[in-house]
Amino acid sequence: MKLPEQISSREITRLVSLPLFMSVLLMGGCGQVEEAIDPEGTETSDAEVGIEVVELPPIAVAEGDGLPAELPADLEWLTNDSDPEFASPDAIQGGTFRGFMLSFPLTLRLVGPDSNGAFAGFLRHNQFGPVSFHPYTRRAIPSVATHWAFGKDGRSIYYRINPKARWSDGEPVTSDDFVFAVQFMRSKEIVAPWYNNYYTDRIRDVKAYDEYTYAVQGADSKPMDEMHYNYAFGPKPRHFHVMSNKWVEEYNWKPEPTTGPYHIGEVSKGKYIDLERTEYWWADEERFYRNRFNPKRVRVKVIRDINTAYQHFLKAELDTFGLVLPEYWHERAKGEEFENGYIRKFWLYNRLPQPSQGVFMNTNEPLLGEPEIRYGIAHALNFDKVINTILRGDYERMPTFQLGFGDYDNNTIKPRTFDLNKAAEYFERAGFRERDETGILVRDGQRLSFTVSYGQPHHTDRLVILKEEAKKAGLELELQLLDPSAAFKKQQEKKHQISWGGWNSQGLSPRYWEHFHSDNAKRTQTNNITAWADPVMDELITRFRGSSELAERIELAHRLEQMVHDSGVMVPSFQIPYTREAAWRWIRVPQHIGTPTSGSIFNSQANSAGIFSSGGLMWIDQEIKEETLEAKRNGDTFDAVTIIQNDYRT
Amino acid sequence: MSLLNLNPQTIKQLKRFKSIKRGYWSAILLAVLLALCLIAELLVNSRALMVSYEGEWYFPTYTALNPGTAFGLDYEYETNYRELRAKFEEQDQGNWVLMPPVPYNAFENDLKVGSYPPNPPSLEDEHYLGTDSTGRDILARLVYGFRIAIAFSGLLLTFNYVAGIIIGCAMGYFGGAFDLLFQRVIEIWSNIPFLYVIMIVASVVVPSFLTLVIVMAALGWMQLTWNMRTSTYKEKSREYVSAARALGAGNVRIVGSHILPNTIAVIVTFVPFSIASGVTFLTALDYLGFGLPPPTPSWGELLSQGTNQLQAPWIVTSVVVAMVVVLLMVTYVGEAIREAFDPKQFTYYE
Repeated sequence: MKLPEQISSREITRLVSLPLFMSVLLMGGCGQVEEAIDPEGTETSDAEVGIEVVELPPIAVAEGDGLPAELPADLEWLTNDSDPEFASPDAIQGGTFRGFMLSFPLTLRLVGPDSNGAFAGFLRHNQFGPVSFHPYTRRAIPSVATHWAFGKDGRSIYYRINPKARWSDGEPVTSDDFVFAVQFMRSKEIVAPWYNNYYTDRIRDVKAYDEYTYAVQGADSKPMDEMHYNYAFGPKPRHFHVMSNKWVEEYNWKPEPTTGPYHIGEVSKGKYIDLERTEYWWADEERFYRNRFNPKRVRVKVIRDINTAYQHFLKAELDTFGLVLPEYWHERAKGEEFENGYIRKFWLYNRLPQPSQGVFMNTNEPLLGEPEIRYGIAHALNFDKVINTILRGDYERMPTFQLGFGDYDNNTIKPRTFDLNKAAEYFERAGFRERDETGILVRDGQRLSFTVSYGQPHHTDRLVILKEEAKKAGLELELQLLDPSAAFKKQQEKKHQISWGGWNSQGLSPRYWEHFHSDNAKRTQTNNITAWADPVMDELITRFRGSSELAERIELAHRLEQMVHDSGVMVPSFQIPYTREAAWRWIRVPQHIGTPTSGSIFNSQANSAGIFSSGGLMWIDQEIKEETLEAKRNGDTFDAVTIIQNDYRT
Repeated sequence: MSLLNLNPQTIKQLKRFKSIKRGYWSAILLAVLLALCLIAELLVNSRALMVSYEGEWYFPTYTALNPGTAFGLDYEYETNYRELRAKFEEQDQGNWVLMPPVPYNAFENDLKVGSYPPNPPSLEDEHYLGTDSTGRDILARLVYGFRIAIAFSGLLLTFNYVAGIIIGCAMGYFGGAFDLLFQRVIEIWSNIPFLYVIMIVASVVVPSFLTLVIVMAALGWMQLTWNMRTSTYKEKSREYVSAARALGAGNVRIVGSHILPNTIAVIVTFVPFSIASGVTFLTALDYLGFGLPPPTPSWGELLSQGTNQLQAPWIVTSVVVAMVVVLLMVTYVGEAIREAFDPKQFTYYE
């Protein structure tokens, strides 16, 4: 279940731009057409006219790339069996956990058209890759693979698959499924250009050495854990997919077998989807996975309106509900269900990567090209007032462009705060001394006025306060609310003056190339929406991207973050370093409530946010459920419970 | 009456209108409201009506902005007159500030630390209808929102009527191929889904006051054409038209000074209902988020805030009551006008 605030911060999705110089390899994607390659496939292709079964070509390798033909003998095999376990041994298996989604998915495929809906998260989290990441230490932990080793070329990883690993239909997971994954992702039949490109451009080679050993070669060398993050893709079941020109239609409602704890059970189109716990799941006794994924079934119902969903929750038809929005936590989460202790409230501070939210200034615009004006604007934006009034002091000021990446964070930077004197000083330096009759500063008849475009209607409240406060500094902000896609388009084409929005952050380390490298400043359709170009920064970014030394990368990240701050092109706004949720009393969680990387406390699936394996920790206690429902009928009460867990607070 | 030199028919219609009490009083009340709206800055405003500071008088309402420094305050931005009033009262040195009855404008956020908007109505804070979710005064937003809605409606009505009357009259008067052609054009044009067009426009450009008026007029001018066409057809076959033509009057003269005055009843009866629909349209668009850009004060935006925040009932109550009252009054006026222009005083059923 996604919380409302999380959805909003991701409304502007990250556009990953990858160069298309690997077109040679893509040529191999269109294989020859054959009658049938699979006995099961013949039946369907006979029955349905026009289906042409396609055999995927072998992995094409470009010159200069390629893994060794034989498994190198001198590999140092690594694993992680020492990091602490984080699930509770008290967890009880069984029960049905009930969640909701705002609309029914258009497909159950994981790739191809319409496969990026809200439900896709449930599907993706059940396709375990070779490794995952520990929610406390952020280090790689075994998943489908038990061991891994890094190749001499600095950009290849060798994995040893756990022989116990099975697909949810009982078939073993083998090296070949990983080779197939690359063939599959490179194929035209899946109609997913982004994946086609990524698996060609970023994943250069994959090779199976025996049934349980395979290797991947990526495009660039990176630090070890970064290599896992970038190149450790999940397997695809070769025995399940019959590739054809109609694959997208054929497999639209055919759920793929999973390597994770749940698989698709009953599907009632338009109403709900059940995720069934796989019986005798192969990882049930594995370290890091035991005592997790406890409910026997997860039912995800369609409830089309968030207010209605909340009413369902109050009637105990949903087990948990997100309360990140101040209005929900303070105003709506009241009443007898809470006072009588039937529903418990939780506030968990975490240390997840924060979306890079704030004000982005387009330096191509005449006035915004002047640093004094950018600094002046930063000092004229009263974020603290927004936080302390309509946000009820619940949000916090974001100090830097990127935050929440552990050691990569530059904690020495203090954000520019609302200060009329400083704003006036900077504006004066830029030549803005006089005010016109409306109180706005002018320089040679030019008013200090900018258009702020944004795409989130519910952010209007915040912006009107910034606008009114900026007037005091003699700065006029014209608000321009656009349809989200129009707002995104406008900033991608760099036609905005000031853009209000944010980039979703994920992974193990911050990203600078997309947002600040001069390569992306001149072109449109890139994420450098400030059009910032600085040769010194370019050089540091290139070093940052190419470096495989963790210490060097951290030092470079600190310097880059400082340079972003000094440029003043982006004014960070808010961070929400926590999650807040409510749950009926029978939903239980471990003593520590959640992990530092838990995006949600009661997430039923493996990853509650990003890449860290922090979900699936809660369980349902049937005895408490009966006791609570009984008490509710009889009017008996328990103590009201609000738990605030701030162990991980920075 | 003799001064105005009205013809007996008009005098009769006026008398008739006056005799329909609820329509008559609604008209007067609406006229008063409209008049007050024009001087809203004197009634609902954060700027003072008058400031007496060290023997000098200031009238800030319609003048350029007075920075705080003008009244001995330490800031350069616009004076906060409410604070100034409190300060002068405290100092008691003969300086004073006269504020309008509602001392807030429609844009400023009255935010106090420790109290989170929306705040309920309060006499003490002079928020007579409370504040919205960012601490703006609801009464102020209602008043300025009303002014914008009525202006919008009036402008839209002018466009629609000018186009509707010209095209409708021409269709009825010339008839034949011209009439046939325009009938088809109108039929096709009326099938354009109005809401989709607005949504598409809103996703490409930020709808400004004028773009909205133009889009709505472009899609709304057809309504009156049918009625004007029918009435013109009817009048055209009367003897006085033939007489005028026999005397050598041209088309423009015949339509303008002979036919049009005789179809005035059709036009006038529709006016109040068009105003009401204009206001409702704008409110609906703002409610859906396709209307005027924020932070323009608008009833639709208030309505949407109110329905999302039912725990703050004063928002939704204020705007719903205001809408119902205004639309009801407009409808009463429309009803009375229709009645007054009806040539049949009594209807007999047999």
